[in-house]
Amino acid sequence: MAEQKRYDSDRVVLNVDNLRIHYATPQGDVIAVSDISFKLYEGETLGLVGESGCGKSTTAYGILQLVQPPGYIVHGSIEVDGTEVLNLEEEELRKFRWTGLSLIPQGAMNSLNPTMRVKDQIIDVIESHEGKQNDKEALRERIFELFQNVGLPNRIYNMYPHELSGGMKQRVCIAMGVALHPTVVIADEATSALDVVVQRIVAQTLVKVKDEIGVSLIVIGHDMGLLAQIVDRIAVMYAGKMVEIAPVENVYANPLHPYTQLLIDSIPSIKERKPLKITEGITHDPRNPPSGCIFRLRCPFAWEHCAEVEPPPITVENKHDVACHLYDEQFEERRTNALATLANP
Amino acid sequence: MGSFSLNYLLRRLLVFFLTVWVAATLIFIIPRLAPGDPIQAMIARMTQFEGYVENADLIIEAWRKRFGLDDPIHVQYLRFLGNTLRLDLGYSMANFPATVYELVGRALPWTIGLVGIATIIFFTVGNLCGALLAWYRTPRWLKVMIPISMTFTSVPPALFSLLLVYIFGFLIKINERPLFPQVGAYARGMTPEFTLEFFSSVLYHGFLPAMSIVLVTFGFWALGMRGMMVTIEGEDYMILAQAKGLKPFYVLYRYMIRNAILPQMTALAVSIGTLINGSVLVEIMFVYNGMGSLIYSGIANQDFGLIQGTSFILIVTSALAVLIIDLTYPLIDPRISLEGR
Repeated sequence: MAEQKRYDSDRVVLNVDNLRIHYATPQGDVIAVSDISFKLYEGETLGLVGESGCGKSTTAYGILQLVQPPGYIVHGSIEVDGTEVLNLEEEELRKFRWTGLSLIPQGAMNSLNPTMRVKDQIIDVIESHEGKQNDKEALRERIFELFQNVGLPNRIYNMYPHELSGGMKQRVCIAMGVALHPTVVIADEATSALDVVVQRIVAQTLVKVKDEIGVSLIVIGHDMGLLAQIVDRIAVMYAGKMVEIAPVENVYANPLHPYTQLLIDSIPSIKERKPLKITEGITHDPRNPPSGCIFRLRCPFAWEHCAEVEPPPITVENKHDVACHLYDEQFEERRTNALATLANP
Repeated sequence: MGSFSLNYLLRRLLVFFLTVWVAATLIFIIPRLAPGDPIQAMIARMTQFEGYVENADLIIEAWRKRFGLDDPIHVQYLRFLGNTLRLDLGYSMANFPATVYELVGRALPWTIGLVGIATIIFFTVGNLCGALLAWYRTPRWLKVMIPISMTFTSVPPALFSLLLVYIFGFLIKINERPLFPQVGAYARGMTPEFTLEFFSSVLYHGFLPAMSIVLVTFGFWALGMRGMMVTIEGEDYMILAQAKGLKPFYVLYRYMIRNAILPQMTALAVSIGTLINGSVLVEIMFVYNGMGSLIYSGIANQDFGLIQGTSFILIVTSALAVLIIDLTYPLIDPRISLEGR
């Protein structure tokens, strides 16, 4: 893979603040996303990882204003380039969609309308936002250029989705996602439904297109290995909380949060056989989260203080935040001990 | 849109001819299983009206010969198939010397017109109602109104015709005249011709019969459509359509209705036979001079030729309608076009 450009802009294009999303159930609300805050910088690729059900997809759909009932946004603020998304009226939101935020969906297999030609599905998004295109030749050229960006042959222009392979459908979704040059593109497990070879190619295409067009990208996934190759920063979620957000090298070389440490430790190694540590401990009922730290029931280092106070995000260095009491100045001794046990189990 | 292969066309045509052949055979067998002899029945009727019929035995014998009823059954069958192929449906025994072909030729356009227009209306209205029931932007009052209007679905069409005739042909009067005519396909004293006056009279007379078919049928289609719409709403491409910021009305017809209508088309093809049968009773209620009335008179007079002819034509018509829907299906569902190895 070609040397990846590193983005170091300080201009914030997406600012999520204190976002909380619940799913209403007869037994009470399930807290899917619990007061998370993060920033996305211009040109950056941010990976959002966590176990299934940790709220990463819900976060993405919350940002896109696509949370499906019974889910609903309790409170929070989502600013894209200074526009508060949650305050938009219906018609404003419709116009903002795809130009401000676009989506590359999970399971591209069923994400295209089966009764519409590929070209019509790209044309409809262009015409919905830019009005009727009278110059059909220019429109055609524009779509061919999009195809070329994602490595699709022009012959699929007139085809129906069922005539394409899975990888091709995913590329169509990528081409569609960047068609209007949105500020932020969110790729929700965009490669999960593909086999590993195609997965890698599609992921590379995604990053290549992102660089060419100059958008910011959020990639949601659970494949830590794949994400490590394509993202600039990684945000780790656990049970609706963002526990750590850090440049990708830091996360792999020096994970700080105990959950991130377990997660990194669970990446299979070809050198040794090791048990999956992450299964230790119990997951709490998402309707009644434990007091204090969300992870304390499974955390090997938890002590009384963790049950009493919820850990705030602590900035340990530039663009690296962690929500754990161990990194509070006053518990330095504990941290040293904990890291020592980790080094010599 | 897609295109269909020669193979697909051939297979559909084969099914069509098979249906017609099986139908013809059944039509040949069934009336012959019924007790009674049609010629004797006719003589009996003549006796009833005119007293004693001279040389009744000779007449019976001559007519049996004339209609070939004395031949062995397989000869009758082969002759029947041969004649049917040439669309020679024989004579109507009760209306001799009128041929079945003539009678059917006069009645069929009325039934096709009535059922055709009713089908277009209930299919459009039913699917539209179903789609609106499922759409999130539909006004609340409409979502309440539609299910109420669907309560008619459980009423048999013939019974519903009675109700409509009573209300609109008798109870509601304007200037001492009922709102709609009670019987007939066009105003009395008119002759069928291509004038605006005749045409409007046909529409005016056809309104109640068509309504009694539409009102009892559209609810079924609305419910089917609503179910399909709910399924489509959960599809991944619907979330993408929303994320794309497409106009809501465009999403409704291009993404939702367009996909939900496909199974409805299949269901329509399957139900066309039932539909035509259902219209028979409605036609009788309204003394509408279509196939229904013709079949009825055929059965009442034990008129073999007429029963066979009308049933056969009805089956061919439904099979033809199914064939047309089958052949247009690949044009509306691109996924079918490549099928047909």
